[in-house]
Amino acid sequence: MSSTWLTTRAWLLMLPLLAVMIAVIGWPMAETVRLSFTDAKLVGLTGHFVGLDNYAKILSGSNFRGTLSTTAFFAIVSVGIEMVLGVLAALLLNQQFYGRTLLRALMILPWALPTIVNATLWRLIYNPEYGALNAALTQLGLLGEYRSWLGEPGSAMAALILADCWKNFPLVALIALAALQSVPRDLIAASLVDGASALNRFRFVILPYLAGPLMVALVLRTIEAFKVFDIIWVMTRGGPANSTRTLSILVYQEAFSFGRAGSGASLALIVTLMVTLLALAYGALVRKAAGSAA
Amino acid sequence: MSALTLERIAKNYGEVETLKGIDIALESGEFLVLLGSSGCGKSTLLNIIAGLAEPTSGDVRIGDRSVVGVHPKDRDVAMVFQSYALYPNLTVARNIGFGLEMRHVPAAEREKAVREAAALLQIENLLDRKPAQLSGGQRQRVAIGRALVRRPKIFLFDEPLSNLDAKLRMEMRSELKRLHQMLKTTVVYVTHDQIEAMTLATRIAVMRNGVIEQLDRPEAIYNRPATLYVATFVGAPPMNLLSATTTPEGLSIAGLETPLALRHGLEAGRPVTLGIRPEALGLAARETALAFHAELAELTGPELVVTGTVGGQKLVASLPPASGVSPGDRATLFAAPEAFHLFDPATGLRLNRDR
Ligand SMILES: Nc1ncnc2c1ncn2[C@@H]1O[C@H](COP(=O)(O)OP(=O)(O)OP(=O)(O)O)[C@@H](O)[C@H]1O
Ligand SMILES: [Mg+2]
Repeated sequence: MSSTWLTTRAWLLMLPLLAVMIAVIGWPMAETVRLSFTDAKLVGLTGHFVGLDNYAKILSGSNFRGTLSTTAFFAIVSVGIEMVLGVLAALLLNQQFYGRTLLRALMILPWALPTIVNATLWRLIYNPEYGALNAALTQLGLLGEYRSWLGEPGSAMAALILADCWKNFPLVALIALAALQSVPRDLIAASLVDGASALNRFRFVILPYLAGPLMVALVLRTIEAFKVFDIIWVMTRGGPANSTRTLSILVYQEAFSFGRAGSGASLALIVTLMVTLLALAYGALVRKAAGSAA
Repeated sequence: MSALTLERIAKNYGEVETLKGIDIALESGEFLVLLGSSGCGKSTLLNIIAGLAEPTSGDVRIGDRSVVGVHPKDRDVAMVFQSYALYPNLTVARNIGFGLEMRHVPAAEREKAVREAAALLQIENLLDRKPAQLSGGQRQRVAIGRALVRRPKIFLFDEPLSNLDAKLRMEMRSELKRLHQMLKTTVVYVTHDQIEAMTLATRIAVMRNGVIEQLDRPEAIYNRPATLYVATFVGAPPMNLLSATTTPEGLSIAGLETPLALRHGLEAGRPVTLGIRPEALGLAARETALAFHAELAELTGPELVVTGTVGGQKLVASLPPASGVSPGDRATLFAAPEAFHLFDPATGLRLNRDR
């Protein structure tokens, strides 16, 4: 059997799948690209070709830049906290103590919840009238009167980040815990005999085995955080006063709330491009980290 | 003053008694090998000396200081592991100097010590490499170097050569012997390889199920094994064991008509287990020797290992290849009187009255 026939047959076998993929991914994608060069509206107007107008307007407008920095803030702070919290939790759960297995299982729970459930839960906790947070803080005497945590621009973002961290640090912890278990026992013993402090042991013994997996966690989490939508949509819809409006929310508002399909499509493509670049950069980093650890 | 004293060391993991009362006193400069099969507690004992595990009861003294509860870094010991345990991100030079770096030894002094150790181990050309770029033998040298630079009171080795191939293992064995003779340091060395034990040790502790069966010089372990376990554990092929009964003039071996003349000093009629090393046997035409029926002959090169029976009991003899014994042959075997080891079949204890 010739190899060309093998190749042909492989393509033939993949054809049905390929057709489905083109129909559900390729076509909408192409349609989005086309729309992004028009002034189409969601209903009614099919739109005229306007060239790069949409892109120019978006990139020069203050809306986009403000939203980009909000998104970056959310992504950097929440992922940063998740990484630190995750590693600390993993270090703790890697110790020998009674009830460790139970605690490990419990830790996974927040991550196992669907985002919508998590977001709804936190919205209840933050509720200005009967929320648990208000109750707890006033009963502890830390708070004079009930506050609307999600209703004030200052606290809304912090509240969102807290909710996101609570849900997502277990993933980092899980990855870190698995990595910690790959640290050879002899190496830890050697560092004890050599007199390394806990900090140096972390740096020279544990970190080399943690760095690669953590990089993967960082990539996954940053990309997710950058395109965050559901948790914010459920909790604040981007408010108050757009203080928690991220790029995905902006895309949604542009295309569906304001019905501007054309510029919504351009915005979506810009976000996609940014996430892709982020992924590529991280991919290179991961490969580099993996290369140096081997 | 003894360099290391272990007194009634016991270690339990839950219900399991891993060590059951270990007593050892080591003079400075001794090379003690802990020898035993897998799971007998060698590593556990070594870890207790290092401070990586604490004994359930008993005392560990390094010099004249009790170190129970003292952190490993404060015990003045260095340890070499089977897996080498090198720091993956650090160069060879930093790996070797790590213990000094952690103890804040000035860089210049540290570098000098690293160079000296590297020279001693002939790895000076590797100092800038990372562990991943080294062969197994080179890694083991680095691990040894890391222990050397610290100039500790006691070196601890946990099966340092078992990840190396046979040829390299032999080279490193000689290397360790050379280093020990040169540096005259105190060493505790764990292995389950009896050749390593015999060649390196000034004393061997044969361990079994958490107790020391015999603690003695290598030649004593080989020539006067204290128990059946030690007798069969040390030596390859292992010592032959035959059931016999004492007679006034010697031994009556089960299945053999002619008794064997041997002065044993035991009461007559007592059942014993007779042990004879294969290499102690030779061909002879003496009346009182063992009538042997050969069944299998294997030439190993320097020796002809013949397996057969004596009075129906299995016996292996290592003979000179020139002896030309072949399967089916009947031969008479002989061994010197001191090569006959007598053990109590019930307790396994040695019965010979040695001097
Ligand atoms: N941390 C531990 N917890 C529970 N049991 C242990 C622990 N460490 C060792 N043991 C048990 O103690 C016994 C002796 O183990 P040890 O590692 O000392 O054996 P060893 O003689 O070094 O064997 P090997 O030649 O295989 O290395 C084993 O049965 C082992 O299962
Ligand atoms: Mg061991």
